[in-house]
Order: sequence, then C-alpha cells, then structure tokens
Amino acid sequence: MDELTKEFIAESQEGLDRMERCLTDLEQRPGDGELVGEIFRAVHTIKGATGFLGFNRLEKLAHAGENLLGALRDGRVMVTESLINGLLELMDGLRRILTLIESTGGEGTRASDDDSRLIGLLVALNEAGVSEALQAAASASPGVEHVAAAMSSVPESGANDKTLRIDVEVLNRMMNLVGDLVLTRNQILRTDTVASNFPELARRLDGITADLRETVMQARMQPVGHLFKKFPRMVRDLAKTCGREVRLEFTGQNTGLDKSLLEAIKDPLTHAVRNAVDHGIEAPVDRVLAGKATEGCVRLKAFHQSGSVVIEIADDGAGIAMERVKAKAVERQLVTVEQAATMTEREALQLIFLPGFSTAAAVTHVSGRGVGMDVVRANVEKVGGSVEIESRVGCGTTLRLRVPLTLAIVPALVVRSGGQSFALPQNALMELVYIPAREMGTAVERIGSAQFYRLRESLLPMVWLDKLMGFAPGVTAEREGLYVAVLEAEGRRYGLVVEELLAPEEIVVKPLSATLREIGLFSGATVLGNGTLAMILDVAVAAERAGVKASEIAVVDAVVERHEAGVMGEASFLIFEDRLGERSALPLNAVVRIESVPLAQIEYASGRRLLQYRGETLPLRDEGGVIEELRAADEVGGAAVATILICAGGADGMHTTGRVVRRVLDVSAGRLLDDTMASEGARLALVGERLTTVSYEVDGGVVWGEVA
Amino acid sequence: MSLAGIAQESADEMDSLCSFQTGDEWFGIDTRKIREVLGELEVQRVPMAPAFIAGVIPNRGDVLTTLNFRALLGLPEREGQHPVLVLEDEEQGERFGLMVDAVGGVVTVRGRMLEQNPSTLAYRGKALFDGVYKMPMGLLIRIEPSKLRPMRLAEIGLLRSSSRGE
Repeated sequence: MDELTKEFIAESQEGLDRMERCLTDLEQRPGDGELVGEIFRAVHTIKGATGFLGFNRLEKLAHAGENLLGALRDGRVMVTESLINGLLELMDGLRRILTLIESTGGEGTRASDDDSRLIGLLVALNEAGVSEALQAAASASPGVEHVAAAMSSVPESGANDKTLRIDVEVLNRMMNLVGDLVLTRNQILRTDTVASNFPELARRLDGITADLRETVMQARMQPVGHLFKKFPRMVRDLAKTCGREVRLEFTGQNTGLDKSLLEAIKDPLTHAVRNAVDHGIEAPVDRVLAGKATEGCVRLKAFHQSGSVVIEIADDGAGIAMERVKAKAVERQLVTVEQAATMTEREALQLIFLPGFSTAAAVTHVSGRGVGMDVVRANVEKVGGSVEIESRVGCGTTLRLRVPLTLAIVPALVVRSGGQSFALPQNALMELVYIPAREMGTAVERIGSAQFYRLRESLLPMVWLDKLMGFAPGVTAEREGLYVAVLEAEGRRYGLVVEELLAPEEIVVKPLSATLREIGLFSGATVLGNGTLAMILDVAVAAERAGVKASEIAVVDAVVERHEAGVMGEASFLIFEDRLGERSALPLNAVVRIESVPLAQIEYASGRRLLQYRGETLPLRDEGGVIEELRAADEVGGAAVATILICAGGADGMHTTGRVVRRVLDVSAGRLLDDTMASEGARLALVGERLTTVSYEVDGGVVWGEVA
Repeated sequence: MSLAGIAQESADEMDSLCSFQTGDEWFGIDTRKIREVLGELEVQRVPMAPAFIAGVIPNRGDVLTTLNFRALLGLPEREGQHPVLVLEDEEQGERFGLMVDAVGGVVTVRGRMLEQNPSTLAYRGKALFDGVYKMPMGLLIRIEPSKLRPMRLAEIGLLRSSSRGE
C-alpha cells in the first residue's frame, strides 16, 4: 500500500472517530449546527480523497452520506433517532470499507460488500418525511444485532496503533536534547577520565539523559480520553439493547498514560463499562420504584494518584447484592455454606473476582457469558496494575482500575540462581523469607515430591528457580539456608527458592524476540547496573509451569481465616522496639514491608520527616527519637541506616506511612486485651505472653499508639 | 526469489561478502545485510531456550536473540567468548545475532562463481546454505540471513532436540 493511501486511511479513521463523538452529542443537542458541520466535514473529506485514489465503492457511500448531511445542515431534514441510527450505520459502513482497504488493499467485490441497502436507507432518510424514514429503517435494517455485530467485527485500525501524533514542541525539545548529547559526547571524546572537567561532563551527560528520558516518556503519553471516546456510542447501543436509559459522564480525559498501557487496559475497561450498563443500571421501571431518576448515570473518571493512573467506573445502579453473590458462590461450589455465612461484605465482594463467577441472573448477549471479572483483573495485573471494587446496594458500584504510568521502567528485585541473574517484578513480590538451615526440618513440609513452607499458619508451595530453569541439580545442592521470595500473580501464591538475593533495581524492560517469548517463562530482559543481562521472570507463567493452581479455596480460606481471627481477637503482630525498652506492635497485615534506609535519604520539609519511596512521599513517624540518636552516633561516616516499617493505613490501604523503629523483634500471635485498658487510641495486647502496646486503625485513619 | 533467479540476475555483478569461520568451513554473508560485527563477547544464556540459541546480547538499546552457529551446524559447543555478527532480516525488520568462531574479512565475489547446494549435502546444510562460491583458496558457503531468522528456525523444527528438560 502506498504512503498516500496509508495517510488517507489514518486521516479518515480519525475523521470517523470525531464523527462518532459528534453523533452521540448531536442526539443530546439536536440544534447544534457546529456538530453537524463537523460530521459533514469528516464525510466530505473522505469523499474528496476517494475520487483521485480510485475507491469507487467508498465514494458512492460517502456521496450518499454527504447528501443527507447536506440536507441536515440546511435544515431540510430534522434530527431524529432514526436519522442518528442511519448516520451511525453510514459510519460503520465507511469503517468497514476502510478496514478492508487497509487489510487487503482493495474495497472488496463480494456480494456481501454491497452497499445498496445502506445507500437506499440514506436516500430514504433524505427524501422522505420522518415517518417514511422510520419505516425504511425498520424494514431495511435488521436492527440492533447488526450494530452489535459491527461493533465486534470492526477491528481497531492497525494504522492508528502504529502511528502516533506528537506535539511538534515535544519533538523540538527532543531534538535539542539530542544536540546537547552529541556536543557532550564530542567533549568527552576530547578529554580523558583524569581531566579536571570530567566530573562536570559526566554530570551534564546525566542531566541530559534524564531530560531525554522524561521527554520521550512524555511523547508516549496519550490522554486517556482516547480510550473514552468510543464509549458514548457503545453505551448508547448497549442501553438500547438492554432497555436502559443511561447517561455517560467523563472527567479527567486529559490524564496521560503510556500508549502501550492504554492499549492494554482497553479491553478490561470496555468490559467494565458494559458491566456497569448491563448489570449495574436497573431498568427504568425499577429505578422509578427505587425512587431514582429513570436515567441512570455511568461516570468515567481518570486521575493520577501516587505514581499510578486510576480509572474509575462508577454507576448509580442497583449495586451488588451480597446475598446473591454468596448464593452464587455456594451454587458454583466456590465456597461452602458455612464460609459464606461468616463472610463480611468486603470479603464477599472479592468473590466476584474468582474464575467462573457471574451474577447475571440471565445470560444476555452482552455479558454474563462467563468471561468475568477474573479476566479483567488478570489483564490489569498483567501490566502491573490492580483492581478494586466498592458497592452499596441501591446506590451503585464503583470499580477502580489502577495502572502504572509506564511499562518501560519497573522496580524489580534481582536474584541469582545457577550462576544467572533474574529479575522479579516488585509488584508481584509479597515478602522475602530466609529459612536458616537449622529450621529447614521444621519449616519445610513434604507431601510426596511437593514441598511446602509454613508461612504464618498457611502452606506455601515452594518452587525452585533452578529446577524451573532446567539447570542441572547439584550446582545448588549444598547451602546454609534458603532464600524464599513469596510471589503472587493471578491469585497464585508461591515461594520461589533462589540461591542469592541481589539488590532491588529500577529496571528498563526490553522485549524479547518471538522465539524467546515462546518459552513463556520470561516477560522480557533487562540490562543491569553492572552491564550484564538478566531475564525478567513472568511470575504467573512460572507458577503455572510449576503446577501452582490459582486456588479459589485458598483465597477464601485466607479470607475466612482472617475473619475468624478477627472475631477471636487473635491476630499476628509484628513486634518492635521504638521507645527505648518498650515493646510495641502493629497488626502484621498493616505492615507492607520493612526497609533499611540510609539516613541521608530521609528528607525534611516544614518540620516533617519525609521519605521518597517508590515514587511516593511517605510521612515518617519517629516515636522513639531514633533518627536523632542515629544521627548523633554517626558524626563521621554518614552511612548509618534506619529501619523503617512501611505501613498501609486507612480503610482503602491508600495512605501509606513509614514508621522509624529501633529494631524489629519478632512476629508472633497475640490477643488484644479488653477495651477497658485502652487509652487514646492505643490498646494493650498479650503478644507472646507479654504486654505490648498496639497501634490500631480507627475510622479509616491510622491512630498511633500513645504511651499506655 | 529462487536461487536460479539470483544467479542469473547477478551473474556478472560483484558482491562483497563478509567471511567468517565456524568449525573447519568458511562462510560468507552479504555485507549489506550485516549491521555490525561485534568483537569477542560473552553471550548471556537463556534457560529453556532451544539449543540453536546461544542467548541474548545487548545491542543499541535492544536485547538481541543470538544464534549459536556451531549448534546449527551440529558441532560441539565451545566455551568462552566469541565474535557475534548482528544481522537484519529486512522483510521482518528483525535484528538478531549470529555467534561464530572467527570473523575473516570482506571478499568480493562474482555471481557466476556461485554453485547451487550440492545434492549430496545433508538436510541440515540444505536448509541453511544458499550455495557455494568456488574461491581460489577453497569453498565459501553463502549464507542468507533471512534463512537464519530465529522464528523460521524454530518453525522448521531444525534441531528441536534442545536443552529443554524438567
């Protein structure tokens, strides 16, 4: 295909995208002349170009459309539902031909490629009065099925995926930076490493590299609005099919997201919007009975939050009925009746993420075909994101997709096995466990050839990285203890035994060739700081290869276990010392990680201690004045290291804070003492038979323990 | 394009090939299809990869799959560092590396010196070689990079026996 045709297709697709947006707007504001003008221009441009490119079929169809739009512009035809339907069909027709041209180079000559019906419809709409046009629409069009078929059959344009519109300003900036880069290189070539200005040159190079990286990332950023723009049409058609009245609202369309990520979340997002319309919003009659407006509302909202982009899909529909969810889960044998009975709402909500779960009472042709929320979650997790759901019966459901800003750079932990380095993505890494040789006998259990590690009362399947990689055994036979990285992906949780733990690194992900992708175990490769290459482990595939099942039972068990523990007042605590000589504890599930941080990394702003941690700024709490002590003791070196507990706080787990402690003592089960002993938000607990102060959460905010 | 076609069209044209040695034989690849010749370097192995893949190397911001030419010829492996040619398959736009024993120099050949693969050649050679140049100092086997494309090698199932094992 020649350049001219390619350009024509890309431009026409863009025009049609605009047309789609305008058409759905036009239905809301029938009198808007500007919208009509915009639509007219899109079709007119296509028609104009087809003439000299020689696409007759396209020209004929565009011509018929242009005539109708001309009449509309001049006010000879009024905006009606059937007119909008006709124009949408025209748009689909044009899209189909464009797609055909793009994939085959020709317009198609088969009988099914005949547009006379569509052209007839457009002419009828143009010539006849409204009533006749309506008739024509009813008789000529098989209706909604047709539209639905078109929706699924028209693939996204390949040209749009491969080309990117970029601000010339950004391109200029890149060019300038590249110029600087060349100049700096020239200077470096002319000096040697001992020259006095070498450090300065290295610094400049560092600065330019950082700027360039940022600029390129910026260029790859696309507004999320690109994803949203196809929804008005989809929701409109869907609402018609399901007999709903739905209004769609957007906020934050300009939120930027990396182009590849945008592609990755397109399907999950579409699925979520369909769900909201089909399952979320009630039929108008039911809405009136519930005292709501007949028109339901689906809100799409995108915004930045601490290094990731959140896309929220909220509906004001019926919400998720917990009883139905539980009943369904029991019916599908995902949980037992007893388990279901003791579940809280929050736990029950998690059930909808289990594979094979769907609450749709009736299987409609839109959703409820078994492709459920588990796929949405898997797809979002695949790109390092997460999915959350909130629902209130009668008020609606909110689904949150959280994705990282970019896929290109991810934090990872580098490990070694069999003499090779491997990178484990941090988002799949739950915790690290070291099993000393003397505990191997008690901590590691065997059932047949499978081995398990007892991690806080649950059995964790163990997977040996060297075995998984097909390395000869014996290389790693003798060791003093085991390093276990606890990984979780797509609901599979397991302990990966590695030979050696190296440093955490921000890695730049490089794609692998098709041949190596076929191995499946690796999602990419990366160049480490020391110049060697490391393969990036695909945590989910590795689990599958090792035979780790995504066990629903285990997930539910864990949930129920936690629940029961809550009832009894029994829980696991992390015990540490912050004030000198005093034992304090936090519920273990509130502690995300334990980090050793050099004092130099702790920063101060308006009297508060802050830590830059994985793209977030964490406020630090230092109950025992540990930092000051460390600083005082460390006059000379500046190499002192503070131990910081990274704690998730708040009901949503969003407000992460850091807590500086003197040292971590132990993890132990304990029991909270009666509230009568409580004072100022802190409670005493018997942990390991000793009195311990426990900080706990109140109303979503973390309340920290005061002196008891 | 068929082999005969190539031979006819370029019967009198001069071609420059980059020669390299693997085992006891000399091979040549059209210099226009070589992006870069890298000196001796360590190739990072990839666990569970087919045997004809030596591993991966970093190159100009990409990670390139690198073929082990010795393994392709059915020769035993040699430890240590080896030179790598960076080739590009123009049709697919895919770059990949080829690990060889030693790199020679640039030789100029005439199209008419190209002989088709002798019929007694083993199947393995037929699948990889493009013909043979009768050079004064011996034979030079012509290699077509597009025939070495890793995906193609994986598809034709050459050397399926690999280090794959549980």
